Amino acid sequence: MQKPNYYFLLILLIFFVYKCEKDDICSAETGTTPKLILRFYDISDEEETKQVPNLLVYGINDANEIVLFDHIGTTAINKDSIAIPLRTDGNATRFVLHRDFEGNDTGNIDVITANYIGEDIYVSRACGYKTIYNALALDLEPDSDNWVINSEIINRTVENETTAHVKIFH
Amino acid sequence: MLKYSISILCLLLLCTTTLAQNDSIPSDSLRYAQKYGLRLGGDVSKLVRSFIDDDYSGFEINGDYRLTKNLYVAGEIGFEENTTSNDQLNSTANGSYFKGGVDYNMYKNWFGMENMIYSGFRVGATTFKQTLNSYTIYQSNQSWPATTVNSGQEFSGLSAIWGELIIGIKAEVLNNIYVGLNAQLKGRITEKEPNNFENIYIPGFGRTYDSGRFGIGFGYNISYLIPLYKKE
Repeated sequence: MQKPNYYFLLILLIFFVYKCEKDDICSAETGTTPKLILRFYDISDEEETKQVPNLLVYGINDANEIVLFDHIGTTAINKDSIAIPLRTDGNATRFVLHRDFEGNDTGNIDVITANYIGEDIYVSRACGYKTIYNALALDLEPDSDNWVINSEIINRTVENETTAHVKIFH
Repeated sequence: MLKYSISILCLLLLCTTTLAQNDSIPSDSLRYAQKYGLRLGGDVSKLVRSFIDDDYSGFEINGDYRLTKNLYVAGEIGFEENTTSNDQLNSTANGSYFKGGVDYNMYKNWFGMENMIYSGFRVGATTFKQTLNSYTIYQSNQSWPATTVNSGQEFSGLSAIWGELIIGIKAEVLNNIYVGLNAQLKGRITEKEPNNFENIYIPGFGRTYDSGRFGIGFGYNISYLIPLYKKE
């Protein structure tokens, strides 16, 4: 009798491939929900970037609590640009630019609210959807001592992290 | 699923060997008239899966008609509803499909037996819809709470056409009753994709892969041959 083992092996192989193939992991290189990128410029020379000394950035939630960002934590360093994760569950994100941070009750706090219209875009089976932010507008809360003097929105749509979206003059 | 597949495979193996042993060398008559007719059946694996898997329901009716000693025209018609769920998405596809093509028997039977080890091809077509039940927005930075949207959006009027290569076996376990197992390698030819979503699962085709247009499927069939005439 002709041995059909070859076919059985082939069928088995197909089942194993079927079982093992997995593309359910969202790769880090995939462009998912972008962060808002701010770049700091010199108010006296608007072409030049200018570092903010000991800058710490964090969010404020609806209950007025501080939300530390994963990629920043509580590290304050000199920076001329910063990436801020925006909320996907509404049309506004409140965040704090804390200059000269050297511990609590030091430095100068400026609170900014970013307003936008979120739009969910399909990425892939593994990554699901991302949010991009349209009609971006910034609102600086005035206080007695704002160190942020002016801002200019370069790109009203936040859909990737390749270039800065906003210029902050100080 | 793999566990079941293997046990089914063993069962089938057992069936064929038993059959081979039981078949004694017949008497002097060296000519044997083979049965020609229409073989109709159903896919048992889809039925079983419908019972044990809450996220799946489906059935398939298949048939083939013997043209020559080794050539059969064959086809399947079926319905599938499948819910795909992972960390980011939950979506349900449902629709009916049709497949048509030929099977070619490559197995030289022992005297008096009519088993098949075959390969074949099909062209399959489906119209279906997908419902995006919910999705969670992917954020590489998880500082803010994750947002899950219970969308419920329906993408209807979707369609796909694909080609299939099949290998399989069919064994006559009782008079005119056959059990069969087959595996299918599929490649999509065209498809209509939803706007701002994709075809995650295509009825008849199965799940899609990010890597490309290929897919895989298998079937476990029980069928009955309606013998129409005999030919040597």
